Amino acid sequence: MKNKEDILLELARAVVDMEEDTCRRSARESLGAGIEAAEAINGGLVKGMMVVGDKYEREEYFIPEVLLCSDAMLAGLAVLQPHLPVDRGGTAAKVVLGVVRGDTHDIGKSLVKIMLEAAGFEVYDLGRDVPPADFVTKALEVGASVIGLSTLMSTTMDGMRTVIEDLEARGIRDRFLVMVGGGPVSPAFAREIGADLYAPDANSAVRNLTALLEVWSCA
Amino acid sequence: MRLETPPDVMTPKERLRATLQGRPVDRIASAPLILNHCSRVTGVTVRQFNHDADLMGKAQVRAWERYGHDMPLIFTTTATVAEAMGTRLFFPDDDAPRVETPFVGDAADVDRVLVADPWRDGRLPVYLAAASHVVETLGDRVFVGCIFAAPFTTASHLRGTETFIRETYRNPGLVNELLAKAKASAFNMIDALAQLAVVPVIVEPVASASLISPRQFEQYVLPHLVDIVDRAHAKGLPICLHICGKTRPVVKLMAESRADILSLDQIDMGEARELVGEKTCLLGNVKPAETLLKGTPEAVRDEVREIIAKAAGSPRGLIVSSGCEMPLNTPPANIDALIEAARIYGRR
Repeated sequence: MKNKEDILLELARAVVDMEEDTCRRSARESLGAGIEAAEAINGGLVKGMMVVGDKYEREEYFIPEVLLCSDAMLAGLAVLQPHLPVDRGGTAAKVVLGVVRGDTHDIGKSLVKIMLEAAGFEVYDLGRDVPPADFVTKALEVGASVIGLSTLMSTTMDGMRTVIEDLEARGIRDRFLVMVGGGPVSPAFAREIGADLYAPDANSAVRNLTALLEVWSCA
Repeated sequence: MRLETPPDVMTPKERLRATLQGRPVDRIASAPLILNHCSRVTGVTVRQFNHDADLMGKAQVRAWERYGHDMPLIFTTTATVAEAMGTRLFFPDDDAPRVETPFVGDAADVDRVLVADPWRDGRLPVYLAAASHVVETLGDRVFVGCIFAAPFTTASHLRGTETFIRETYRNPGLVNELLAKAKASAFNMIDALAQLAVVPVIVEPVASASLISPRQFEQYVLPHLVDIVDRAHAKGLPICLHICGKTRPVVKLMAESRADILSLDQIDMGEARELVGEKTCLLGNVKPAETLLKGTPEAVRDEVREIIAKAAGSPRGLIVSSGCEMPLNTPPANIDALIEAARIYGRR
């Protein structure tokens, strides 16, 4: 029988190699070997997804590869999730994410969601073509600390400004970190509209957000 | 500050022809991608502009009279070929159209996909009639171009982009079938444009390195680009290949298509010159949102000067342009600045 280390390594490898079936099988194997579901997720699936993120950033993997790795991770997760303890404490930072109104390109946003979830964030995905007010409403409703805005079109990027103005008008701007990204968005534009964070790609979005949240929660 | 702008000596047509033939030019050509923005010049909505050949043709002519760019380009969205093959688009009142319902919702629907006839299907007849009007009106002075999607992008709009790029791994058979039909439609488009003496500009945004790998580009994209370029050349037409987003990882493969001009977006033009300058004329790449939409005329001029400094000596020539479509509401002064900067800095 395989030892615990081997099974976790195999889980991570199956994610990186886009193998859904292996992920499912190794996930079941991990349960059979008495590995805690949480450990199989964090020490196997998530570890694999972190490797995927690094490969993406190094331009070794591109979007089709990340999507298929994510499918493999989710297949393993579906096996393991029912075995997690019911109460997980609910300490994960919550992120409301979406593509601003007028734009239906959402692959970039989906990638950010995949990487955020792999990093342990709780993500509320509003999808695409989202009216500005919906971001704020949802963020208040779920008690999110982060609002992530995406667009690929220059005609819709000013919708990001509207969301921030909406937060200011309601006097709740300082309760949220606002992260922006997507094709036409530049660091200069992010500064101009008063966003807290510019994310050039999915992996740096997660890394920078994690770093910023640490500072923010200390302040 | 008022900059002294020397007058042009050549017509845009003479200048572009000389550029492609490697002969001397009076100044570096400037062909910014003034597309849906033409509607702003005549004051019609984007939706009206996109549906009515008469309004589109007139707006293109008026935009040329207003700006004097070196090549008017007919275009509304990259999904127009897919639309002619059955994909349904959504048309906002005053913004570019977008895909609403891909035609091949179910993999079995692939058999129902028909090759587009540009004289009959979707809004391609609007493109052709508008292009024809611009050629009749300005054809003695300018080359007119028409932008439409290459096979990978058309196929992704027939299937839905995320599903399609997953299927490059999961269902290569379906992917290849869609690519073959999309290519046949592109061939028909080339043939139609040849009849009108309009220069084809093929766009492949979904094959950008922002989305797929060079390995997949080689497998699914390049062979079809080569065939389309061959088709254009067989018809006696030059052809331009545009890919927006990141292009550095695939720019050498783009050049292998043997397209006469590569229109580039996010890449350093000096690096592009090093990598492919021997093989193809370069077109680009003032940043559309950051500089043209949001910047000042001074910032536009500075960026043009930098592009010229880096790439003007490229062996097969340089054409100054926007990296991608001129944003709809770009201040006209910024478009003027781009064109003026080519006059000021683009002399030998």
